[in-house]
Formats: sequence, C-alpha cells, structure tokens
Amino acid sequence: MASGSEVVALERASLGVARALVGPLSLRVSAGARLAITGPNGSGKSLLLKAIAGQATLFSGRLRCAPGLTLMLLAQESARREPWPLSGHDWFAAMEVVPPALPRLAALLPRRLDTLSGGQWQLLRLAAALSPPPGAEGRVPHLVMLDEPANHLDHAVKEAAVELMTALDPGVTLLMTGHDSGMIEACGATALPLEACLDAA
Amino acid sequence: MPPDLLWLPLLAGTGMTLLLALAGVGLFLKGSAWQALALSQWAAVGGVAASALTWPVLPLALGVSGGMMWLLRLQRQGEHAALASFLAGLALVTLLAANAPQASLAAARWAEGQLYFVAPADAWAVVGLTLFSLPLLRPLKRIWLRSQLLPNLASWAVPGLPMRLAEAVWLVAVIVMGAMVFGVPAALSTLLFPAWISALRARHLQHCLLHAVLLALVAFMLAWWLSLWLDQPFAPVLIVTHVAAGITLWALRSVPSSTRRSTP
Repeated sequence: MASGSEVVALERASLGVARALVGPLSLRVSAGARLAITGPNGSGKSLLLKAIAGQATLFSGRLRCAPGLTLMLLAQESARREPWPLSGHDWFAAMEVVPPALPRLAALLPRRLDTLSGGQWQLLRLAAALSPPPGAEGRVPHLVMLDEPANHLDHAVKEAAVELMTALDPGVTLLMTGHDSGMIEACGATALPLEACLDAA
Repeated sequence: MPPDLLWLPLLAGTGMTLLLALAGVGLFLKGSAWQALALSQWAAVGGVAASALTWPVLPLALGVSGGMMWLLRLQRQGEHAALASFLAGLALVTLLAANAPQASLAAARWAEGQLYFVAPADAWAVVGLTLFSLPLLRPLKRIWLRSQLLPNLASWAVPGLPMRLAEAVWLVAVIVMGAMVFGVPAALSTLLFPAWISALRARHLQHCLLHAVLLALVAFMLAWWLSLWLDQPFAPVLIVTHVAAGITLWALRSVPSSTRRSTP
C-alpha cells in the first residue's frame, strides 16, 4: 500500500511484457499531483502507465497502490473497428460516466465512433477518461493516466482538451506521458523525465 | 405437415432466432465470430457422439462445446485456433458418421437441421432459455459495451468473473441449442448475417441489437413460409434468405453517407 497521501509508489521496479524492458525505476505519485512523464520514444513511458494499470508485468521491485484506488488509463492508440456500431453516447455508457458539458463534444455524442476523425475520436476518449467515475463524490483516491493525450489533436481540439484537463477535480491525480511541452504547461502539470526515475542498476 | 403440429417448431424457431441474433451482435462486437464456427461444430461433435453412445444429446453437446470454448479462451491464437478447431470437429463428425449407423443419422440432422421435426423436449428447452435470457439482456449489453473499451481501462468498469462466466455459459447454450434446432450452417447464418448487416447500418448499439433481432425474425418468417410453400428444407432456404437480405441491404448502403468517416 502506498504511504500517506501517495496514490502510487514504485520501488526499484523492472517493467516489461515478456521480459523486463525498463528499470529498475522508482516513482512516488501524491494525491492530487499533476505529473507528466517525458522522454524519447521507446524509453518506456507507456510501459510505466501500463504496469500501474496491470497491463504490463512487474518483474522485480514493488508497486504499491492506495487502498480503494480507482484507475483510468487512456491508451496511446485505440484502434477503431470498421464497421463499429457504437455512438459517442455508447462510449460514455461503457465507461459508466456522464459526458461533460462541452459544445464541441456534444456534437460528437450521437455520431458513430467509426465516422469520427482521429482528432474527434481522441477528444471524445479524453473527455470520457477525465469524467469522474460513478459515485466519485467522496471517493478518493482516483488516478487518471493519459498516454500521449495530445496525439491526433489539431490546435482547436487541443484547446478543448486542455480545457477538460484543467477542469479536473483537484483531488484527482493526473499522470500523463507526452512530448508536447506546451500542453503539459497549459494543463498545469510538472514535467518529469523518465530517466530521472531510473535507479542505479 | 398438419398446421397444428407446426406451432411448437415455430415457437422454438422464433425464440432461437431472437437469441442467435443477440448472440451474434455480442460475438461481432467482441470480434469472436470465429469462435461461433468452432463452438457450433463441436456442439455437433457432442450431439453425434451422444447419438452413437445413446446418451442424452443436449448435455453432451453443451459439455463438449463448453470445453472447446474454455480451450479457445486459454490461448491467444484467436481465429487460427478457432478455424483449426472447426476443421477438427468437422473431421470428427464425418468419422463418427462413417463408423456408427446411429451417428450417421445424427450427423445429417446436425448438418441440415430438423426444425419442423424438433422434439418437444428440445423445443421447450429453447423456450425456457429464451425466457431465462430476458433478464440477462441488460447485463449482457453492459458486458459487450465494456469489452469495447480495451486497450483503455476504467478499473470500475472491468467485468467481474461471475459476469464473464455467465456470458460465456449463455453464449455456449445459445450456440449449441441453435445448432441443434436449426443445424450448424443455418444457426451460424442466423448468428452472423443479421449482426453483420446491422453493424453497417445502426446508429448506436441499441439500434444495432434491435435491427439485428428484427432482421433475423423477418428472415426467419420469410424462410419458414417459403420452405413450406415450396416444400424445401428449411435450413438452406434460411441461409439463402440471409444472403439475399445481405446483398440487398449492402447495395442500399451505398446511398447514405452517414457511415463514412469524415476528414480530420
């Protein structure tokens, strides 16, 4: 279990899928933090988020999560099948969250997901990921992990994305990866290079 | 056949059509259509083996098909394993039919379907499964929706083991009983065609489910009437009806532009 107000703590963790690919690394994420893991492609940023979400393997070291922690992971790529008979409303229903009141989003909700452009799809996924989970009132801690949320977003859609991210409840912890320093700054996150988390082998 | 003997097959066929259409949408959403191919064929293996051994047909068909589903879910080869399993099942049924006289009759029944001559016990089993499925529809829709989130993860929306188990048992029961009542090809046709066609046209999931059920029921009624009127076996008429409906609706689809992806 993570100590004090920490929601997640990794200690000398080696992460991978079939074999260890990254680490050992250590990271402590406090409740309400806004943290952006940065680093070159292939350095293991996505793997770190997947390991916390239980989608990658912890080969050594420790991963501790706060009791009752609810997790949201927005994957870097989420391929859409074609045909895919799901609407934007269906996506929010699948996540059991209520769509935020955002005009740009409202227009996407009745549309089929396989008719959205890449940017529209990313915005819809992001809005759903940032929506409070059911029964969130008083439910702490909640960790939102966004893997490269700026992907596929043009300037106008990026503004809407930043608006959603800055409106996130202060009690919610945000851990993201990315290269877009402008977006990281705009949503008030602290950049943390992944290499700064690496322990001496 | 006298009309008073037809109501039970009609009831069983209607119930089975409803269930197969719903299961088809679920399999389509999960990208598991290949699994249906394997499961229905292994239901036939169980059914034919039961006939050869003079054992009860339905329990053995359910057991064998359920075991195959478990095996398929253990490995990650997906459609390759399902296709290999289908071919193995086909070979086993042929071998059983070639070596046991009772099995030969049973194999023909599982291949061609015998809806008009469905045993009352089997027909009532279908009616029972249909009624049992009604309260399951909402949880099934939820589990199919949640399965669409991957590779994204919302920890509170991950289906629990009991839900996943219930869905798997329901799918096996529907596929096995569908193959038993309609025959393997017609059951597969009812599973696949309405779901495929509806996926192209539906505006959202609820619309897709309703569209698939409606389409499957219309095709069933049309095939029922045509096969009686023309004195033809029901299963091939049903498949031809599905194919004709598919081609017609596919052609009509070229008119609306609502499903075309917009430019970024």
